[in-house]
Amino acid sequence: MQVFNAFLKVLKKRSLSAMIYIAVFLGIAIPMASSSNATEAMKLTSLDICVFDEDGTDASRELISLLAENNKIVTLENDRDVMTDALYYEWIDYALIIDKGYAEKLAAGETNDLFRSYHMHDSYSVVYVTNLLSEYTSTVKAFMTSGNSFSDALSKTADALSTDTEVTMKSFSSGGGLKDIVGFYYRYLPYILVSVILGTLCPVIVTMNSRDLRFRTSCSSIRSASYTMQLFLGSAIFVFAVLALFTVVGIVLNGGINGDMLLAVANSIIFSLVVTALTVFVSGFEIGPNIQALITQIASLGMSFLCGVFVPQSMLGGGVLAAARFLPMYWYTVLNDMLMGDTRFDAGKAALCLAVEAAFAVMLVVLTVLVRRQSSGKNAPRQKKAEPAAA
Amino acid sequence: MENTVVKIENLVKRYGELIALDHFSLEIKEGEIFGLLGPNGSGKTTTINCLLSLLSYDKGNIELFGKKMTPVSYDIKKDIGVIMQNVAVLNELTVYENIDYFCGLYISDKALRKKYVEEAVEFAGLGDFVKFYPKKLSGGLLRRLNIACGIAHKPKLIILDEPTVAVDPQSRNRILEGIEELNRAGATVIYTSHYMEEVEQLCTRIAIMDKGRKIAEGTKEELKRMIRNTETVTIEIIELPEEVRAQIASLPHVYSAEHDGERLVICCSGGKHNLIRILDVLQSRDLGFGRVYTELPTLNDVFLEITGKALRDKED
Ligand SMILES: Nc1ncnc2c1ncn2[C@@H]1O[C@H](COP(=O)(O)OP(=O)(O)O)[C@@H](O)[C@H]1O
Ligand SMILES: [Mg+2]
Repeated sequence: MQVFNAFLKVLKKRSLSAMIYIAVFLGIAIPMASSSNATEAMKLTSLDICVFDEDGTDASRELISLLAENNKIVTLENDRDVMTDALYYEWIDYALIIDKGYAEKLAAGETNDLFRSYHMHDSYSVVYVTNLLSEYTSTVKAFMTSGNSFSDALSKTADALSTDTEVTMKSFSSGGGLKDIVGFYYRYLPYILVSVILGTLCPVIVTMNSRDLRFRTSCSSIRSASYTMQLFLGSAIFVFAVLALFTVVGIVLNGGINGDMLLAVANSIIFSLVVTALTVFVSGFEIGPNIQALITQIASLGMSFLCGVFVPQSMLGGGVLAAARFLPMYWYTVLNDMLMGDTRFDAGKAALCLAVEAAFAVMLVVLTVLVRRQSSGKNAPRQKKAEPAAA
Repeated sequence: MENTVVKIENLVKRYGELIALDHFSLEIKEGEIFGLLGPNGSGKTTTINCLLSLLSYDKGNIELFGKKMTPVSYDIKKDIGVIMQNVAVLNELTVYENIDYFCGLYISDKALRKKYVEEAVEFAGLGDFVKFYPKKLSGGLLRRLNIACGIAHKPKLIILDEPTVAVDPQSRNRILEGIEELNRAGATVIYTSHYMEEVEQLCTRIAIMDKGRKIAEGTKEELKRMIRNTETVTIEIIELPEEVRAQIASLPHVYSAEHDGERLVICCSGGKHNLIRILDVLQSRDLGFGRVYTELPTLNDVFLEITGKALRDKED
């Protein structure tokens, strides 16, 4: 195990930056987890809304039914004091008074002074409902401007906003089985995995596999296969240790294991395999430390930006996303977004993501073998190829 | 009774169009310090790499310790110590750890290895530097580390490929003495170099290589006997009429007399009165001259004689 021991020594010397990455990442993730209530405000919850319909037309009833899709409509006595008390004691979250003449004004293309709303606390959901109301009126106006009759405009607006809300609401309210903080933890994890695995292992393998050292070692009585095996073992142990650390921390942050957590872990394991395969592939070229660092930066930062780690995929342009499909981190993030509840969970799509990632790993392994075979054709230090032609 | 340790027969090695080794043959007996002398690019390293089965070759046969050498001849490899032309050590390991690593590729017994590593440290004079990392070592010390890594396991055959390139004179002497010491302890040595002085000083037998071919082989005395002139007389003289030069060239024992405007270089075979006769000619013509010196032949003259060019390259 001489080579293995040397591998670990070299690894130890080269692992400073990995330590820093891990320490900073955990140093941010763990404190955030302990104060993770801060993120609750971002959640859209169903509101108790009290509506006073003073207009009493089809149009006003349609607006109420739109609100009712995602909120609970509460009936109260039509009394100013009762309403204020209800808001104050938080029996209701939101009060809406639809003024008389609402339908007429709306039909005339007005968007102001149609209704009045009251609330006590500014939660994300309250802001959302307020926005929804103003969006509703302007959408009705827009449909009418483009030539629709008032009743068509109303039903089209209801359709448009309700499908839209349906998706949005589901995404935020179903929440996945992952705690928010764990979702974010796993979201940034691929960046850290690339930085740590590629950034550390690549210089070590390049060192241990440099032509001069390989030549020198080939002169000794150690078998070439054994040498490669020991390098492989060392790399595997390193990757395993890194993964084990991140998985344990992930499970602790999540407060246990559930189905979504298992998927998140599986996602990180398969992604690590991809990164390891990438590392082995890159290490096959005798490149200097500067180029190695550059490749690590490009792979970690570049992929993270393109694939929606730093900026959510929903905010990235179609062109970027189309290109990102050819990167493994994209598929990692698609699955993680589902687990985070940013997008609707779909088991088939989740399986597809894992499969595509695995395919990237396989492709990189095949590529590595091809490149090695190619280069060993021309007097490279590969032992098996050094068989004298005359023999 | 002497055993043949290395036997190379008709080795041909091509790098694409380039024929790096052209029917190269060699036989080295046990206990020799064999010198492989040739200018840069003559094929010394290629010979060593083929010998060690690190490179495939196009034709030929290689035997070490009487057995055919192949990439999987691990029983042969364990008896060889290799000091590559390119220093091959791990920069992340200390001097001690490096020697231990390479020794450990051959010796698995821990106690024995410890003893061997300490002896190698002693041998290379690296005692003060065992905790140093290679990057902190001077060129000479680094070369000595490279050697210590190659010989720690006490091999029977030691191959050194240009071990003294870019080394200070002090380290160089230490290295050469060390090699003699290893040889006295029983090791057969192959030593490649493009420094003829080293090879002359160290080696019991020498092969001279050029363009992938062996152009001469023998002890240094044998090699020197192969060439006609045994003495070169150089006279610093500016003005030299052509007929005087011709007169000197026609003196007995003189092969050639060349004047380059500053010096007159005369090659002659051994004879007692060569110098006196030459100086007589100059004095009879009343020609003034500067310093006069004579040189006995070197391996460079051998090389020059055979190939028509100097052994040393410009960078030296
Ligand atoms: N890997 C290679 N590919 C192509 N040509 C090579 C290679 N290695 C050496 N050569 C050429 O082979 C010749 C012999 O080189 P080498 O054995 O290194 O010479 P030496 O060790 O005597 O300086 C040189 O002309 C060199 O350029
Ligand atoms: Mg060489």
